[in-house]
Amino acid sequence: MISAQAQKRKRREASVVEFLVFTLPLLVFLIVLYGTLLWNVYVSMANWVSTAADYTFRGLKWYGYLFSQGRFWVDVQNNLKWLILGVVPTTVLAIFLAYLLELAPFPGVESYVRTLILYPVAMSFVVTGTIWSWLYQPERGVFNTMLRSLGIHSPLTYTNDPATATYWLILIFVWQYLGFAVIIIQSSFRTAELQEMIEAATVDGASKIRILYSVILPNIRSGLMVLVSLLLINSLKVFDIVWIVTRTGPGIATDVLATNMIVTAYDQRLASAGAAIGVIIFLIAFILVIPYTIYALRKWFE
Amino acid sequence: MKSKNNTLKIVVVTVLVVLTCAYLLPIYVMVTNSLKTLPEIQQRTYLAFPLKPQIQNYSTALFGSREFLIPMKRPIINSTIITLVVTLLAAFFGGLGGYYLSRTRGAFVRFIFILVGIALYLPYQAVIIPLTTITAKSGLANSHFGLILSYLIINLPLSSVLMGTFFLGIPRELEEAAEVDGANKVQIFFRVVTPISLPAYASVAIIIFTQVWNEFFIALTLSTPKTQTAQVAMAMTQGSTISPYNLQMAASLLTVAVPLLIFLFLGRYFIRGILAGALKG
Repeated sequence: MISAQAQKRKRREASVVEFLVFTLPLLVFLIVLYGTLLWNVYVSMANWVSTAADYTFRGLKWYGYLFSQGRFWVDVQNNLKWLILGVVPTTVLAIFLAYLLELAPFPGVESYVRTLILYPVAMSFVVTGTIWSWLYQPERGVFNTMLRSLGIHSPLTYTNDPATATYWLILIFVWQYLGFAVIIIQSSFRTAELQEMIEAATVDGASKIRILYSVILPNIRSGLMVLVSLLLINSLKVFDIVWIVTRTGPGIATDVLATNMIVTAYDQRLASAGAAIGVIIFLIAFILVIPYTIYALRKWFE
Repeated sequence: MKSKNNTLKIVVVTVLVVLTCAYLLPIYVMVTNSLKTLPEIQQRTYLAFPLKPQIQNYSTALFGSREFLIPMKRPIINSTIITLVVTLLAAFFGGLGGYYLSRTRGAFVRFIFILVGIALYLPYQAVIIPLTTITAKSGLANSHFGLILSYLIINLPLSSVLMGTFFLGIPRELEEAAEVDGANKVQIFFRVVTPISLPAYASVAIIIFTQVWNEFFIALTLSTPKTQTAQVAMAMTQGSTISPYNLQMAASLLTVAVPLLIFLFLGRYFIRGILAGALKG
């Protein structure tokens, strides 16, 4: 009786040690991460307005300040453009390309295209942004030079035009993430069940476009959801492209929340207002990542 | 049937041509202009082929000169140190945490998993002010440890989930057999699971390496002149009008060289890492 109890205790102690060995580093860093997050929430409700920290509680004062700034609403509009145009065209193009690669009648096409469109994933936005700003220059840039050699005197000024600048920035994002999206879509095509269904539909004489709509798309829903989540998060977090290519300009035409955060917290030294922008970005990201997290939970624990 | 196949062929060829142009053009512009002289860039179009390749541009970009005041050597060394340390630690700790998450059941593990899931894609803007304060107050800002610590905090959830996704795909029989032989979980992990998971570690390491090497926001905010990373130095060449265009492109090439070479030679691991992030182990 006693020995069984002792054995039980021993086993429990062993499992505590195991638990600590496996999770201690992760838990420590998680605690630090959530600690800094909460700290940041507190800063956003304090009154830190100079180089010296000031933790006097001011409630939602700095949120009110942000909402009264025109710049904040420019950011919201631009972030919305990023969320929609960074995600929808990338996903649609990726589905089209992935399907085309499945159908491609030439051998070797797939590995060529994969390498070709995936390499930007290994590059930083700092460098791609730098190169693309060479493409975009109105006077001597590559795009307008090419158009001129075709006899077209291009009226486009790309990122120098406040009305369209954000769209040209988003194009860089789509270019950079297309390969990533294709890889994810392709892997959702390649389940045994789906391949069988495609085969059955082909035998029945369904057209290729019909198969895409009625057989493939409904059956890659979870893959699409994951891809859309990842793209949404990455286009919400966008900072580098804007900072490098236009530095939020012309004026503040291409400003987004992430760049405004840096300007507010570090250039204007309004740390509390900057922290408030950080909290707002986090809340949006939190909402966007919910479907992904639920899906991951199900996948892991069932 | 025949005509249908032809339409498909035309579509495929058109798409191939468009993609090839769209994806080779930026690389072409970077490489060719990094090999030109400055007057050549100013007088001829950016698309022109270099008259006489100026290989020495790379050494000028690396070591600096009177015209190029942002030598990339120190920043590239800084990036290498920071990225390697973060990658090794994140892969090691992520393997431990990911194994636990993938092998244990219960409410507590679910709770940790949710915390990890939210932290996975956390926007850095939400933690940057406290991170700045911590690194400044503790004096870590003056060494590489400030950035190393910050990157670890942010990348450990990701590496745990990626490693865990791979571990979920490993058949349990080996571990069960070892358990029957009386090995404890820690022994099983290091002696049985780790040796067969080395490709998974390679994938995760490549993903973390690329992500940290290319990270700009935290590096811009936290790095000091002593710890400046390659991306931050690169951004300075872009921002300043004094930096000659040819050297700016040479510096770009130096900045992307390491992750690009990894991608070209270890692309398969890279793709597996991306798919693990999409929860496909």
